Amino acid sequence: MRIEVEEKEGYHIVTPIGELDVYTVPLFRKVLLRLEGDRKHDLVLDLSKVTFIDSSGLGSLIETYQKVTSVEGTIVFVIENPRFMKIMKLVNLDKVFKIFPNLGRALQSIGVSGGYIDREFFSDEI
Amino acid sequence: MRFIGRKKRAKRLSVHLPCKKKSLRKARSIVKKFANKQGFSAEADDIALAVQEALKNIIQHACPADNTMRFVLIPSDDEMIVEVSDRGQGFDVETLKFETPSPTALHGRGVQIIKGLMDDVTITSGKNGTIVRMQKKKSQENPV
Repeated sequence: MRIEVEEKEGYHIVTPIGELDVYTVPLFRKVLLRLEGDRKHDLVLDLSKVTFIDSSGLGSLIETYQKVTSVEGTIVFVIENPRFMKIMKLVNLDKVFKIFPNLGRALQSIGVSGGYIDREFFSDEI
Repeated sequence: MRFIGRKKRAKRLSVHLPCKKKSLRKARSIVKKFANKQGFSAEADDIALAVQEALKNIIQHACPADNTMRFVLIPSDDEMIVEVSDRGQGFDVETLKFETPSPTALHGRGVQIIKGLMDDVTITSGKNGTIVRMQKKKSQENPV
């Protein structure tokens, strides 16, 4: 797994790419612990490039959510993959997390402007 | 000699793996490949994740003295039966009845995922080990 981190208007956009499971959770945790700055607890977890998640991966998302909310930070999630959403629903996390279908909408929800294309909005597909 | 009405024996796959984390990804890959080959491509991801979660529970709670985890996949025309077993010391399955974790609990989600993904799940456990028996029905999304 590879993890990309970008800062935009004070928010850290963290994008894990690949499988988020029992093998890769330690790396994911490590990256999140290394975030710096006054607003290190304001996060966008862009999970649109996660190709597989297991219970350990879900545990790491919950852990992050709990850390952020305990210091009154902001955390939103991006999940595009219907299969991933199915698993979130199985464990009722869809009722706890703020989940958006693409990064554009997630950023819009926290008031970060511009620079991202809402692929769905510009899609030719009906 | 003619065999009339003889049922073709279902192919089954029996796998033994060492009780360690490294085995999980291997198991998932084996299950997916077998499920796809047997015409369960629409269910392959669900079955593979359920097997991985069952094996992960063995690693976390019950690595047996023989250090081996076993699973068997038994496909038929309309369902796949999966049995994941270990020869560990077993546990009281009654405790699982009370173990629906809250959405934000950090652990204990494996069985919840298995039950959600599979159509039927039974867990039996005793002093000779534990067997998780799972059934997944074939959907009509699969190519005929």
